Amino acid sequence: MSLDLFNQVAVLVIFSINAVMLTVLVMLKVVHRHRRLDHDRRRTAYLGVLSRHLSMDDYNEPITETMAEDPAFLDALLDMRNALTGDDASTLGRIVNHHGIIQRQMRYLDSSWLLGRRLQAAVALAELGDEMSAETLMRHLDDPEPEIRIQCGRGLGRIRWTPAIDQIVSRFGTEIPWVSTRFSDTLVGYGAKATWPLLAYIRINHPYETQGVTLALRTLAQINDDQAVGPLLEILEESSDVEVRIATVYALGELGSPEALAALDALLDDDEWALRAKSASALGGLGDPAAISRLLHSMRDSNWWVRRSAAAAIAGLPGGIEALYTALDDEDPFAADAAAEALVDAGELVSARRRAEQEDALAEPLLAHMRSGWS
Amino acid sequence: MSEKKRILVADDSETIRALMQTALEGAGYEVVLAEDGLSAYELGSNGDYDLVIIDQLMPGLLGLDVVSRWHEEGMKTPVLMLTGVDDDRTAVESFDRGVVDYVRKPFRIPELMARIRMQI
Repeated sequence: MSLDLFNQVAVLVIFSINAVMLTVLVMLKVVHRHRRLDHDRRRTAYLGVLSRHLSMDDYNEPITETMAEDPAFLDALLDMRNALTGDDASTLGRIVNHHGIIQRQMRYLDSSWLLGRRLQAAVALAELGDEMSAETLMRHLDDPEPEIRIQCGRGLGRIRWTPAIDQIVSRFGTEIPWVSTRFSDTLVGYGAKATWPLLAYIRINHPYETQGVTLALRTLAQINDDQAVGPLLEILEESSDVEVRIATVYALGELGSPEALAALDALLDDDEWALRAKSASALGGLGDPAAISRLLHSMRDSNWWVRRSAAAAIAGLPGGIEALYTALDDEDPFAADAAAEALVDAGELVSARRRAEQEDALAEPLLAHMRSGWS
Repeated sequence: MSEKKRILVADDSETIRALMQTALEGAGYEVVLAEDGLSAYELGSNGDYDLVIIDQLMPGLLGLDVVSRWHEEGMKTPVLMLTGVDDDRTAVESFDRGVVDYVRKPFRIPELMARIRMQI
Protein backbone atom coordinates (compact mmCIF):
# COMPACT_ATOMS: atom_id res chain seq x y z
CA MET A 1 0.00 0.00 0.00
CA SER A 2 1.44 3.35 -0.97
CA LEU A 3 1.95 6.09 1.61
CA ASP A 4 -0.66 8.31 -0.10
CA LEU A 5 -3.36 5.64 0.17
CA PHE A 6 -2.48 5.01 3.82
CA ASN A 7 -2.83 8.75 4.58
CA GLN A 8 -6.19 8.91 2.82
CA VAL A 9 -7.52 5.91 4.79
CA ALA A 10 -6.25 7.42 8.08
CA VAL A 11 -7.97 10.76 7.35
CA LEU A 12 -11.20 8.94 6.47
CA VAL A 13 -11.11 6.93 9.72
CA ILE A 14 -10.45 10.02 11.86
CA PHE A 15 -13.19 11.94 10.06
CA SER A 16 -15.66 9.06 10.58
CA ILE A 17 -14.86 8.80 14.30
CA ASN A 18 -15.34 12.57 14.71
CA ALA A 19 -18.62 12.46 12.82
CA VAL A 20 -19.93 9.62 15.01
CA MET A 21 -18.90 11.42 18.20
CA LEU A 22 -20.50 14.65 17.06
CA THR A 23 -23.73 12.85 16.19
CA VAL A 24 -23.80 11.15 19.61
CA LEU A 25 -23.20 14.49 21.35
CA VAL A 26 -25.98 16.21 19.39
CA MET A 27 -28.36 13.34 20.13
CA LEU A 28 -27.54 13.46 23.84
CA LYS A 29 -28.18 17.20 23.87
CA VAL A 30 -31.50 16.75 22.08
CA VAL A 31 -32.58 14.00 24.48
CA HIS A 32 -31.55 16.10 27.49
CA ARG A 33 -33.43 19.14 26.19
CA HIS A 34 -36.51 17.04 25.45
CA ARG A 35 -36.45 15.57 28.96
CA ARG A 36 -36.04 19.00 30.53
CA LEU A 37 -38.94 20.44 28.53
CA ASP A 38 -41.08 17.45 29.45
CA HIS A 39 -40.15 17.89 33.12
CA ASP A 40 -41.08 21.62 32.92
CA ARG A 41 -44.38 20.82 31.22
CA ARG A 42 -45.32 18.31 33.93
CA ARG A 43 -44.21 20.72 36.65
CA THR A 44 -46.48 23.43 35.21
CA ALA A 45 -49.40 21.00 35.18
CA TYR A 46 -48.72 20.01 38.81
CA LEU A 47 -48.57 23.68 39.83
CA GLY A 48 -52.10 23.98 38.44
CA VAL A 49 -53.31 20.90 40.36
CA LEU A 50 -51.76 22.08 43.63
CA SER A 51 -53.10 25.62 43.12
CA ARG A 52 -56.61 24.25 42.69
CA HIS A 53 -56.24 22.09 45.81
CA LEU A 54 -55.24 25.18 47.77
CA SER A 55 -57.65 27.78 46.49
CA MET A 56 -60.84 25.93 45.51
CA ASP A 57 -62.90 24.47 48.37
CA ASP A 58 -64.89 22.10 46.14
CA TYR A 59 -61.89 20.80 44.19
CA ASN A 60 -61.36 17.08 44.78
CA GLU A 61 -59.25 15.72 41.92
CA PRO A 62 -57.06 13.12 43.64
CA ILE A 63 -53.28 13.34 43.64
CA THR A 64 -52.32 9.93 42.33
CA GLU A 65 -49.34 7.87 43.45
CA THR A 66 -47.81 8.23 39.97
CA MET A 67 -47.95 12.00 40.37
CA ALA A 68 -46.53 11.89 43.88
CA GLU A 69 -43.58 9.82 42.66
CA ASP A 70 -42.73 12.22 39.84
CA PRO A 71 -39.68 14.47 40.52
CA ALA A 72 -41.53 17.28 38.67
CA PHE A 73 -44.33 17.03 41.24
CA LEU A 74 -41.79 17.34 44.03
CA ASP A 75 -40.31 20.46 42.38
CA ALA A 76 -43.76 22.04 42.11
CA LEU A 77 -44.63 21.12 45.68
CA LEU A 78 -41.39 22.56 47.12
CA ASP A 79 -41.73 25.80 45.16
CA MET A 80 -45.27 26.24 46.36
CA ARG A 81 -44.34 25.42 49.93
CA ASN A 82 -41.70 28.16 49.89
CA ALA A 83 -44.23 30.68 48.58
CA LEU A 84 -46.96 30.02 51.14
CA THR A 85 -47.42 30.01 54.88
CA GLY A 86 -50.13 29.35 57.47
CA ASP A 87 -53.01 27.03 56.56
CA ASP A 88 -51.90 26.84 52.94
CA ALA A 89 -48.49 25.49 53.96
CA SER A 90 -50.24 23.04 56.31
CA THR A 91 -52.41 21.79 53.44
CA LEU A 92 -49.26 21.13 51.42
CA GLY A 93 -47.77 19.42 54.49
CA ARG A 94 -50.80 17.10 54.60
CA ILE A 95 -50.26 16.21 50.93
CA VAL A 96 -46.60 15.44 51.71
CA ASN A 97 -47.57 13.20 54.63
CA HIS A 98 -50.48 11.50 52.88
CA HIS A 99 -48.29 10.39 49.99
CA GLY A 100 -45.28 9.36 52.08
CA ILE A 101 -43.08 11.82 50.20
CA ILE A 102 -40.58 12.22 53.04
CA GLN A 103 -40.20 8.46 53.49
CA ARG A 104 -39.69 8.06 49.76
CA GLN A 105 -36.96 10.74 49.67
CA MET A 106 -35.27 9.16 52.71
CA ARG A 107 -35.26 5.85 50.85
CA TYR A 108 -33.74 7.46 47.74
CA LEU A 109 -31.08 9.20 49.81
CA ASP A 110 -30.16 5.95 51.55
CA SER A 111 -30.19 3.55 48.67
CA SER A 112 -30.47 5.03 45.20
CA TRP A 113 -27.45 4.37 42.98
CA LEU A 114 -28.20 7.48 40.92
CA LEU A 115 -26.29 10.48 42.28
CA GLY A 116 -28.84 12.92 40.78
CA ARG A 117 -31.70 11.22 42.58
CA ARG A 118 -29.81 11.14 45.88
CA LEU A 119 -28.96 14.81 45.52
CA GLN A 120 -32.56 15.69 44.71
CA ALA A 121 -33.67 13.70 47.75
CA ALA A 122 -31.23 15.57 50.00
CA VAL A 123 -32.43 18.94 48.67
CA ALA A 124 -36.07 17.89 49.10
CA LEU A 125 -35.52 16.72 52.68
CA ALA A 126 -33.65 19.96 53.46
CA GLU A 127 -36.52 22.02 52.03
CA LEU A 128 -39.28 19.98 53.68
CA GLY A 129 -37.51 20.23 57.04
CA ASP A 130 -39.42 17.48 58.85
CA GLU A 131 -38.18 15.95 62.12
CA MET A 132 -38.93 12.52 60.70
CA SER A 133 -35.88 12.83 58.47
CA ALA A 134 -33.45 14.03 61.17
CA GLU A 135 -31.70 10.68 61.72
CA THR A 136 -31.28 10.11 57.98
CA LEU A 137 -29.87 13.61 57.53
CA MET A 138 -27.46 13.09 60.45
CA ARG A 139 -26.22 9.85 58.89
CA HIS A 140 -25.50 11.57 55.60
CA LEU A 141 -23.36 14.30 57.16
CA ASP A 142 -20.62 11.81 56.24
CA ASP A 143 -21.91 11.13 52.74
CA PRO A 144 -19.15 10.79 50.11
CA GLU A 145 -20.82 13.53 48.01
CA PRO A 146 -20.03 17.05 49.36
CA GLU A 147 -23.26 18.67 48.10
CA ILE A 148 -25.31 16.00 49.88
CA ARG A 149 -23.44 16.72 53.12
CA ILE A 150 -24.22 20.43 52.68
CA GLN A 151 -27.92 19.78 52.07
CA CYS A 152 -28.15 17.44 55.07
CA GLY A 153 -26.61 20.14 57.29
CA ARG A 154 -29.05 22.67 55.86
CA GLY A 155 -32.00 20.35 56.52
CA LEU A 156 -30.94 19.75 60.12
CA GLY A 157 -30.62 23.50 60.58
CA ARG A 158 -34.07 24.03 59.15
CA ILE A 159 -35.53 21.56 61.65
CA ARG A 160 -33.40 23.23 64.38
CA TRP A 161 -32.28 19.71 65.35
CA THR A 162 -30.17 20.47 68.43
CA PRO A 163 -28.25 17.15 68.56
CA ALA A 164 -26.83 18.04 65.13
CA ILE A 165 -24.98 21.13 66.40
CA ASP A 166 -22.07 19.18 67.93
CA GLN A 167 -21.95 16.88 64.92
CA ILE A 168 -21.68 19.81 62.52
CA VAL A 169 -19.14 21.75 64.62
CA SER A 170 -16.95 18.68 64.99
CA ARG A 171 -16.55 18.55 61.20
CA PHE A 172 -15.20 22.12 60.90
CA GLY A 173 -11.58 21.03 61.01
CA THR A 174 -11.84 18.03 58.71
CA GLU A 175 -14.30 19.12 56.04
CA ILE A 176 -13.27 20.67 52.72
CA PRO A 177 -13.54 24.47 53.01
CA TRP A 178 -16.64 25.05 50.86
CA VAL A 179 -18.59 22.44 52.80
CA SER A 180 -17.48 23.71 56.20
CA THR A 181 -18.37 27.28 55.18
CA ARG A 182 -21.91 26.12 54.40
CA PHE A 183 -22.00 24.23 57.71
CA SER A 184 -21.07 27.52 59.33
CA ASP A 185 -24.08 29.21 57.66
CA THR A 186 -26.26 26.42 59.05
CA LEU A 187 -24.98 27.03 62.57
CA VAL A 188 -25.61 30.77 62.28
CA GLY A 189 -29.25 29.77 61.73
CA TYR A 190 -29.28 28.03 65.13
CA GLY A 191 -28.37 31.35 66.77
CA ALA A 192 -27.33 31.37 70.44
CA LYS A 193 -27.95 27.60 70.74
CA ALA A 194 -24.68 27.08 68.84
CA THR A 195 -22.59 29.48 70.99
CA TRP A 196 -21.38 27.04 73.65
CA PRO A 197 -20.72 24.08 71.32
CA LEU A 198 -18.63 26.42 69.15
CA LEU A 199 -16.75 27.77 72.17
CA ALA A 200 -16.11 24.22 73.42
CA TYR A 201 -14.76 23.25 70.00
CA ILE A 202 -12.47 26.30 69.93
CA ARG A 203 -11.22 25.67 73.49
CA ILE A 204 -10.33 22.06 72.79
CA ASN A 205 -8.84 22.51 69.34
CA HIS A 206 -7.10 25.88 69.23
CA PRO A 207 -3.70 24.50 70.30
CA TYR A 208 -3.78 21.87 67.52
CA GLU A 209 -5.45 23.22 64.40
CA THR A 210 -6.27 26.52 62.71
CA GLN A 211 -8.78 26.09 59.85
CA GLY A 212 -11.70 24.75 61.88
CA VAL A 213 -11.04 27.03 64.84
CA THR A 214 -10.93 30.22 62.75
CA LEU A 215 -14.16 29.19 61.03
CA ALA A 216 -15.77 28.56 64.41
CA LEU A 217 -14.65 32.04 65.50
CA ARG A 218 -16.10 33.64 62.36
CA THR A 219 -19.35 31.74 62.98
CA LEU A 220 -19.49 33.10 66.54
CA ALA A 221 -18.95 36.60 65.15
CA GLN A 222 -22.01 36.17 62.94
CA ILE A 223 -24.16 34.68 65.69
CA ASN A 224 -23.38 37.79 67.74
CA ASP A 225 -24.16 36.36 71.17
CA ASP A 226 -22.72 38.42 74.08
CA GLN A 227 -22.16 35.23 76.11
CA ALA A 228 -19.12 34.54 73.92
CA VAL A 229 -17.18 37.67 74.93
CA GLY A 230 -15.65 36.37 78.19
CA PRO A 231 -14.53 32.99 76.76
CA LEU A 232 -13.15 34.72 73.67
CA LEU A 233 -11.01 37.02 75.82
CA GLU A 234 -9.61 33.90 77.55
CA ILE A 235 -8.84 32.27 74.19
CA LEU A 236 -7.11 35.46 73.06
CA GLU A 237 -4.88 35.23 76.09
CA GLU A 238 -4.16 31.50 75.77
CA SER A 239 -3.61 31.10 72.03
CA SER A 240 -0.24 31.57 70.39
CA ASP A 241 -1.55 30.95 66.84
CA VAL A 242 -1.63 34.30 65.01
CA GLU A 243 -4.50 33.26 62.71
CA VAL A 244 -6.60 32.15 65.67
CA ARG A 245 -5.82 35.38 67.55
CA ILE A 246 -6.74 37.49 64.50
CA ALA A 247 -10.05 35.62 64.11
CA THR A 248 -10.73 36.06 67.85
CA VAL A 249 -10.08 39.80 67.61
CA TYR A 250 -12.38 40.00 64.59
CA ALA A 251 -15.13 38.18 66.54
CA LEU A 252 -14.70 40.52 69.52
CA GLY A 253 -14.99 43.53 67.20
CA GLU A 254 -18.20 42.12 65.68
CA LEU A 255 -19.65 41.40 69.12
CA GLY A 256 -18.92 45.03 70.02
CA SER A 257 -18.77 44.52 73.78
CA PRO A 258 -17.03 47.24 75.86
CA GLU A 259 -15.58 44.36 77.92
CA ALA A 260 -13.07 43.79 75.10
CA LEU A 261 -11.75 47.37 75.02
CA ALA A 262 -8.70 46.85 77.26
CA ALA A 263 -7.58 43.62 75.57
CA LEU A 264 -7.88 45.10 72.09
CA ASP A 265 -6.13 48.27 73.20
CA ALA A 266 -3.18 46.20 74.49
CA LEU A 267 -2.91 44.38 71.16
CA LEU A 268 -2.20 47.66 69.35
CA ASP A 269 1.39 47.17 70.62
CA ASP A 270 1.68 43.50 69.55
CA ASP A 271 4.74 42.44 67.53
CA GLU A 272 2.53 41.03 64.78
CA TRP A 273 1.36 43.80 62.40
CA ALA A 274 -1.69 41.86 61.18
CA LEU A 275 -2.91 41.57 64.74
CA ARG A 276 -2.33 45.29 65.37
CA ALA A 277 -4.32 46.12 62.23
CA LYS A 278 -7.20 43.80 63.12
CA SER A 279 -7.29 45.15 66.68
CA ALA A 280 -7.53 48.68 65.35
CA SER A 281 -10.50 47.69 63.16
CA ALA A 282 -12.12 45.82 66.06
CA LEU A 283 -11.76 48.88 68.31
CA GLY A 284 -13.69 50.81 65.69
CA GLY A 285 -16.38 48.12 65.90
CA LEU A 286 -16.85 48.73 69.63
CA GLY A 287 -18.12 52.24 68.85
CA ASP A 288 -16.50 53.82 71.91
CA PRO A 289 -14.91 57.25 71.23
CA ALA A 290 -12.55 56.58 74.18
CA ALA A 291 -10.49 54.51 71.71
CA ILE A 292 -9.74 57.52 69.47
CA SER A 293 -6.61 58.71 71.28
CA ARG A 294 -5.06 55.21 71.17
CA LEU A 295 -5.98 54.80 67.52
CA LEU A 296 -4.45 58.17 66.69
CA HIS A 297 -1.24 56.78 68.14
CA SER A 298 -1.56 53.70 65.87
CA MET A 299 -1.76 56.01 62.89
CA ARG A 300 2.00 56.46 63.40
CA ASP A 301 2.60 52.69 63.27
CA SER A 302 5.54 51.46 61.15
CA ASN A 303 3.14 49.34 59.04
CA TRP A 304 0.94 51.14 56.48
CA TRP A 305 -1.97 48.69 56.83
CA VAL A 306 -2.08 49.32 60.59
CA ARG A 307 -2.08 53.09 59.98
CA ARG A 308 -4.83 52.72 57.42
CA SER A 309 -6.94 50.41 59.65
CA ALA A 310 -6.58 52.77 62.61
CA ALA A 311 -7.64 55.80 60.55
CA ALA A 312 -10.62 53.92 59.08
CA ALA A 313 -11.65 52.82 62.58
CA ILE A 314 -11.48 56.41 63.84
CA ALA A 315 -13.65 57.60 60.94
CA GLY A 316 -16.47 55.32 62.14
CA LEU A 317 -16.39 56.50 65.76
CA PRO A 318 -18.38 59.43 67.17
CA GLY A 319 -16.19 62.51 66.88
CA GLY A 320 -13.77 60.59 64.66
CA ILE A 321 -14.01 62.82 61.58
CA GLU A 322 -12.99 65.89 63.59
CA ALA A 323 -10.07 63.92 65.08
CA LEU A 324 -8.92 62.96 61.57
CA TYR A 325 -9.04 66.60 60.41
CA THR A 326 -6.77 67.45 63.35
CA ALA A 327 -4.46 64.56 62.42
CA LEU A 328 -3.90 66.12 58.99
CA ASP A 329 -1.40 68.39 60.77
CA ASP A 330 0.35 65.47 62.46
CA GLU A 331 4.14 65.81 62.52
CA ASP A 332 4.35 62.26 61.14
CA PRO A 333 3.56 62.66 57.41
CA PHE A 334 2.46 59.00 57.15
CA ALA A 335 -0.13 59.57 59.89
CA ALA A 336 -1.36 62.68 58.05
CA ASP A 337 -1.62 60.60 54.85
CA ALA A 338 -3.65 57.92 56.65
CA ALA A 339 -5.98 60.60 58.04
CA ALA A 340 -6.46 62.15 54.58
CA GLU A 341 -7.15 58.76 53.01
CA ALA A 342 -9.73 57.87 55.66
CA LEU A 343 -11.41 61.26 55.22
CA VAL A 344 -11.58 60.76 51.46
CA ASP A 345 -13.01 57.24 51.96
CA ALA A 346 -15.60 58.73 54.32
CA GLY A 347 -16.74 61.08 51.53
CA GLU A 348 -15.21 64.18 53.09
CA LEU A 349 -13.49 65.32 49.91
CA VAL A 350 -16.77 66.13 48.22
CA SER A 351 -18.08 68.04 51.22
CA ALA A 352 -14.68 69.76 51.68
CA ARG A 353 -14.86 71.05 48.11
CA ARG A 354 -18.41 72.26 48.69
CA ARG A 355 -17.37 73.95 51.93
CA ALA A 356 -14.38 75.55 50.19
CA GLU A 357 -16.75 77.15 47.68
CA GLN A 358 -18.52 78.72 50.66
CA GLU A 359 -15.12 79.85 51.97
CA ASP A 360 -15.39 77.59 55.02
CA ALA A 361 -11.93 77.38 56.66
CA LEU A 362 -12.63 73.80 57.88
CA ALA A 363 -12.27 72.51 54.35
CA GLU A 364 -8.79 73.88 53.80
CA PRO A 365 -6.56 71.34 55.63
CA LEU A 366 -7.86 68.35 53.62
CA LEU A 367 -7.73 70.20 50.31
CA ALA A 368 -4.21 71.47 51.11
CA HIS A 369 -3.13 67.92 51.91
CA MET A 370 -4.58 66.65 48.64
CA ARG A 371 -2.84 69.46 46.71
CA SER A 372 0.55 68.71 48.29
CA GLY A 373 0.30 65.02 47.34
CA TRP A 374 0.88 61.88 49.43
CA SER A 375 4.05 61.43 51.47
CA MET B 1 -74.54 40.80 34.35
CA SER B 2 -71.65 42.82 35.75
CA GLU B 3 -68.33 42.76 33.90
CA LYS B 4 -65.47 40.78 35.43
CA LYS B 5 -62.82 42.81 37.27
CA ARG B 6 -59.43 42.62 35.58
CA ILE B 7 -56.22 42.03 37.51
CA LEU B 8 -52.68 42.16 36.16
CA VAL B 9 -50.31 39.78 37.98
CA ALA B 10 -46.60 40.42 37.36
CA ASP B 11 -44.18 37.91 38.86
CA ASP B 12 -41.19 36.08 37.40
CA SER B 13 -42.03 32.96 39.44
CA GLU B 14 -44.16 30.49 37.52
CA THR B 15 -45.36 29.11 40.85
CA ILE B 16 -46.78 32.45 41.97
CA ARG B 17 -48.34 33.11 38.57
CA ALA B 18 -50.05 29.68 38.58
CA LEU B 19 -51.22 30.11 42.14
CA MET B 20 -52.56 33.63 41.61
CA GLN B 21 -54.24 32.75 38.33
CA THR B 22 -56.09 29.79 39.86
CA ALA B 23 -57.07 31.65 43.03
CA LEU B 24 -58.18 34.83 41.25
CA GLU B 25 -60.05 33.12 38.41
CA GLY B 26 -61.71 30.88 40.98
CA ALA B 27 -62.89 34.04 42.74
CA GLY B 28 -64.36 35.40 39.50
CA TYR B 29 -61.66 37.80 38.34
CA GLU B 30 -60.14 38.04 34.88
CA VAL B 31 -56.38 37.60 35.12
CA VAL B 32 -53.61 38.83 32.84
CA LEU B 33 -50.08 37.56 33.52
CA ALA B 34 -46.66 39.16 33.04
CA GLU B 35 -43.39 37.39 33.75
CA ASP B 36 -40.93 40.30 33.78
CA GLY B 37 -40.82 43.99 34.64
CA LEU B 38 -40.83 45.28 31.10
CA SER B 39 -43.88 43.32 29.94
CA ALA B 40 -45.62 44.27 33.20
CA TYR B 41 -44.98 47.94 32.42
CA GLU B 42 -46.20 47.60 28.83
CA LEU B 43 -49.31 45.60 29.76
CA GLY B 44 -50.14 47.97 32.61
CA SER B 45 -49.68 51.06 30.45
CA ASN B 46 -51.72 49.76 27.54
CA GLY B 47 -54.62 48.05 29.28
CA ASP B 48 -57.40 48.80 31.75
CA TYR B 49 -57.03 46.99 35.05
CA ASP B 50 -58.85 47.25 38.35
CA LEU B 51 -55.73 46.15 40.26
CA VAL B 52 -52.09 45.29 39.63
CA ILE B 53 -50.27 42.73 41.78
CA ILE B 54 -46.54 43.11 41.24
CA ASP B 55 -43.34 41.49 42.49
CA GLN B 56 -40.29 43.61 43.32
CA LEU B 57 -37.41 41.46 42.04
CA MET B 58 -38.06 40.74 38.38
CA PRO B 59 -35.84 40.64 35.31
CA GLY B 60 -36.02 43.65 32.99
CA LEU B 61 -37.39 46.22 35.42
CA LEU B 62 -37.79 46.11 39.18
CA GLY B 63 -41.35 46.26 40.47
CA LEU B 64 -40.68 49.60 42.16
CA ASP B 65 -39.31 51.09 38.94
CA VAL B 66 -42.43 49.99 37.07
CA VAL B 67 -44.62 51.54 39.77
CA SER B 68 -42.60 54.79 39.66
CA ARG B 69 -43.03 55.06 35.90
CA TRP B 70 -46.79 54.52 36.20
CA HIS B 71 -46.92 57.05 39.03
CA GLU B 72 -45.11 59.64 36.88
CA GLU B 73 -47.45 58.92 33.97
CA GLY B 74 -50.46 59.48 36.23
CA MET B 75 -51.80 55.91 36.19
CA LYS B 76 -54.51 55.59 38.83
CA THR B 77 -54.84 51.78 39.03
CA PRO B 78 -54.16 50.56 42.57
CA VAL B 79 -50.97 48.51 42.87
CA LEU B 80 -50.35 45.79 45.46
CA MET B 81 -46.73 44.74 46.00
CA LEU B 82 -46.32 40.98 46.62
CA THR B 83 -42.67 40.34 47.32
CA GLY B 84 -40.09 38.20 49.06
CA VAL B 85 -38.06 41.33 49.84
CA ASP B 86 -38.29 41.52 53.60
CA ASP B 87 -36.90 44.90 54.53
CA ASP B 88 -38.80 47.87 55.84
CA ARG B 89 -37.03 50.32 53.53
CA THR B 90 -38.48 48.66 50.41
CA ALA B 91 -41.92 48.61 52.02
CA VAL B 92 -41.75 52.31 52.91
CA GLU B 93 -40.38 53.20 49.48
CA SER B 94 -43.23 51.24 47.87
CA PHE B 95 -45.85 53.23 49.75
CA ASP B 96 -44.00 56.47 48.90
CA ARG B 97 -44.26 55.59 45.24
CA GLY B 98 -48.00 55.03 45.41
CA VAL B 99 -48.37 51.31 46.21
CA VAL B 100 -51.62 50.75 48.13
CA ASP B 101 -50.68 47.52 49.92
CA TYR B 102 -47.56 45.46 50.59
CA VAL B 103 -47.67 41.69 51.17
CA ARG B 104 -44.57 39.68 52.02
CA LYS B 105 -43.86 36.18 50.72
CA PRO B 106 -44.44 33.56 52.00
CA PHE B 107 -48.07 34.59 52.17
CA ARG B 108 -51.51 33.19 52.97
CA ILE B 109 -53.95 32.93 50.06
CA PRO B 110 -57.12 33.86 52.05
CA GLU B 111 -55.41 36.93 53.52
CA LEU B 112 -54.17 38.06 50.12
CA MET B 113 -57.64 37.57 48.64
CA ALA B 114 -59.13 39.67 51.43
CA ARG B 115 -56.62 42.45 50.74
CA ILE B 116 -57.49 42.29 47.04
CA ARG B 117 -61.21 42.56 47.83
CA MET B 118 -60.46 45.65 49.90
CA GLN B 119 -58.92 47.37 46.90
CA ILE B 120 -61.56 46.58 44.24
